[in-house]
Amino acid sequence: MARRAMSRLLVPAAIVGAIIAVALTVSLLPLPDPVKMSVATRLAPPGLAHPLGLDEYGRDVLSRILWGARASLSVAFLAAAVAGVIGTILGLLGGYLRGLVEIVTVRSAEAVLCFPPLLLALLVVTLMGPGAATLIVALSILYAPGYARVAYAQTLAVSALDYVVAQEALGARPGRILLRTILPNVAPPLLVQFSLTVAAAMVLESGLSFLGLGVVPPAPSWGLMIRGARSTMEQAPLLLLWPCLALTGTIVALNVLCDRLRDVLDPRAGTASAGFLGRGIARILPGVVDPATRPALLDVRGLTIEIATSDGSFRPVRDVSLSVAPGETLALVGESGSGKTLTGLAVLGLLPTGIRATKGRILFTGRDGRTRDLACLPEPALRQLRGDEIAMVFQDPGTSLNPVHRVLDQVAETIRAHRPATGPDAVAQAVGLLKEVGLPDPDRRGRSFPFELSGGQRQRAMIASAVANGPRMLIADEPTTALDVTIQAQILDLFARLRGRGSDTGLVFITHNLAVVAEIADRVAVMYAGEIVEEGPVGAVFGEPRHPYTAALIASVPDGREGRLESIAGTVPPPHAELPGCRFAPRCGLAAPECSAEAPPLRDIAPSRASRCLHWRDVA
Amino acid sequence: MRGYAARRLLVALALIWVVVTFVFLAIHLVPGDPAELLLSQGGVAPDPGAVAELRQKLGLDRPILARYVEYVAGILHGDLGVSLRDEHSVADEIRLRLPRTLELIGVAAVLALVFGLPAGTWAALRAGGHADRALSVLSGIFLSVPVFVLGTIAILVFAQKLRWVSAGGFVAFERDPLQHLMLLAMPAGTIAVGLSAIVFRMTRSSVLEVLGRDYVRAAQAKGLTPRRIVLHHVVRTALIPVVTVLALHLGSLLGGTVLVEFVFNWPGLSGYLVSAVEARDYPEVIGIVLVISVLFVLLNLLVDLLYAVLDPRVRHG
Repeated sequence: MARRAMSRLLVPAAIVGAIIAVALTVSLLPLPDPVKMSVATRLAPPGLAHPLGLDEYGRDVLSRILWGARASLSVAFLAAAVAGVIGTILGLLGGYLRGLVEIVTVRSAEAVLCFPPLLLALLVVTLMGPGAATLIVALSILYAPGYARVAYAQTLAVSALDYVVAQEALGARPGRILLRTILPNVAPPLLVQFSLTVAAAMVLESGLSFLGLGVVPPAPSWGLMIRGARSTMEQAPLLLLWPCLALTGTIVALNVLCDRLRDVLDPRAGTASAGFLGRGIARILPGVVDPATRPALLDVRGLTIEIATSDGSFRPVRDVSLSVAPGETLALVGESGSGKTLTGLAVLGLLPTGIRATKGRILFTGRDGRTRDLACLPEPALRQLRGDEIAMVFQDPGTSLNPVHRVLDQVAETIRAHRPATGPDAVAQAVGLLKEVGLPDPDRRGRSFPFELSGGQRQRAMIASAVANGPRMLIADEPTTALDVTIQAQILDLFARLRGRGSDTGLVFITHNLAVVAEIADRVAVMYAGEIVEEGPVGAVFGEPRHPYTAALIASVPDGREGRLESIAGTVPPPHAELPGCRFAPRCGLAAPECSAEAPPLRDIAPSRASRCLHWRDVA
Repeated sequence: MRGYAARRLLVALALIWVVVTFVFLAIHLVPGDPAELLLSQGGVAPDPGAVAELRQKLGLDRPILARYVEYVAGILHGDLGVSLRDEHSVADEIRLRLPRTLELIGVAAVLALVFGLPAGTWAALRAGGHADRALSVLSGIFLSVPVFVLGTIAILVFAQKLRWVSAGGFVAFERDPLQHLMLLAMPAGTIAVGLSAIVFRMTRSSVLEVLGRDYVRAAQAKGLTPRRIVLHHVVRTALIPVVTVLALHLGSLLGGTVLVEFVFNWPGLSGYLVSAVEARDYPEVIGIVLVISVLFVLLNLLVDLLYAVLDPRVRHG
């Protein structure tokens, strides 16, 4: 990524470099005098002696263009540099010392930003009289606040970091900290600001010169040349074109350089995704299902998910198989990063862009009794299932509800997406649903915006929206993790109640909390580093774990009795690590040479129980 | 909320006062006597007696503090004074020219939204695709072309070569609506080009950001159509920063239309300001700056109100 951004930087940098080189060396080039007039040959067309012809006073246009580069660039660079030094000092001091200094430096600089820039420049220029020096002063005043703001924000962020605090604790003087520690860290955004400012200053300089308030004639400047060529536009339109091209071209090059520079210095900004609508394109083949393998409700087989990055692809989920019968609750347990959320999203076909299910089947039997493979169902068909037959409850109700719409409307919208209900009808149904999930005073509360509700109330609303169409399959992704402990219990009760109505809705409950699993689930599948390592009925698995990871997980849960709490030694392998054998082997007490030789498959070890461990018999 | 609004208003009034004082002082403390400038026509040094007479007539011989107090008192009564050049009422001249500049900015803003919003949303939905890249390059060029370059080229092409419109000027709407709009098209279009590129970029990045939010995924999980997700859930939220940025740019266009008004010979407020500054006609300068500042502040208040309409967290918070 970084290397690609660097190579993209090369072309605009070379162009800008070439323009600067011309501006620097123009006095050495064998060019005619840019201010020498020759009225007899005015507006002469291009020829050998004058490749771009002569202007309205008979001056050589090529020479004036190249000399104009020097005028424009020197004003712009000097102004950007002066503004940079002043603004950076103001911002650093304001951000580091805060208090009164902040008010005097940063806030007063920001007052300048309240002024339309051209207006301010005009005031300065006319008060001081036109000329290059005035321009630099005017532009410096204009652009210093921009630097001050950037330096201030960066300084605030950096000075709270540990290594700065550590230096203060060690007694380093503020001046030293500012110069040696903070300045280098705030430098990259300031560099971007510098190139932005150069481009902006060029626009303003040429604009003022165009008005006759900038560079003083007869000195060559692009803005002045455009101003001059306006009067002879009819006879010699080319005269207008050259300085326009030179000016615009330089600004385009500078702006592109800015953008690319930002990509290099801030890699987050430049990452392009494949696009929101691109998601459905890969799904052209309709789901074709082998009738011999008829599943219960949801049957995931050998699901593998791949993330493509510029450094190759890796598989955060590999060969995951699980099944859920109608009315059954399956808990999917694992540490964060074990791939359980991705598995849940894959079922709904909602994997983020750049992440794809590359192998395996996701067989789902709908209300109509037909079985479809969700992994290769076209997007429109998948969309009809989502929110209707398969619904999902997400981890954080605070961010999963749209902040600008009323809660009631967001529940009603699920109904209207799948049922031919009128607006008032859907709202009435939504009120009923909100009442069912235990939202107090649903008529009134439902008309609230999400931020006006508590976390628990929001999650109730999310659940109401999920069960709105009576789904066959409900996937709950850590629905209690973002909530307070007391609210967690209430939400779990709600799930138990919804399940206990004798419904045949299948529930996949994704969690890392074993206590929750024991409370709510019929069966449990334990995931580790992208694989299911053990699966079976909750009581059996918790009573007699048959995989060392499950055993270690259970041992690490506090049970209120005496004794040391055990933690699992070692760390989870990073998702892109390709281990030849069992992925838990490096941390496993039972690991033997054969464990690292070949990846063990998930095998049935008893009726309705499976383990991936070669030594499952030895797991205590 | 009400206390906040009151505080905002107070700060705004203080800011306007600071601006007026600053401009008043700046124009008086800098060398260049208005009376001398008025009388020195054709580069000939004026007669000292005439200058003294004019200074007395204009009240320039009195202490600056007295004039300042008098001036501020005048403003409070809605009186912006008279021009030093021709003794016209400054307020009348502003009243005549301000609508023309506002019309220019308003039409440009509408054009920018009409093109920038859909294009930005469209590009964000196809981020990384060919259309997105082409639009990004185009917006980069639009952003880079200085407005006076664009205006001059537009005159060259549309007025000189194609002869569709005349090169510039102004006709009052009441006198000839069609001609008025014809003359408005080029300057407004010229401003709109850069503005629409700004709207495009803001919309694109804003929509992209919202697309990554959890509630968009939740909306997908509800089985909503992409059309409904985009229109109802994405664009609505994505609009908030776009509106803010656009409004701020409109603010900087007040008085920033100088170049366009100059190029197209549009008799708006900005051109008036330039000539006033050149002549050191300080009642005119302060009057214009005052009006622009007030509008700028009002615009910012308006943005806050719009914000509240678009974002219930602000409205009810």
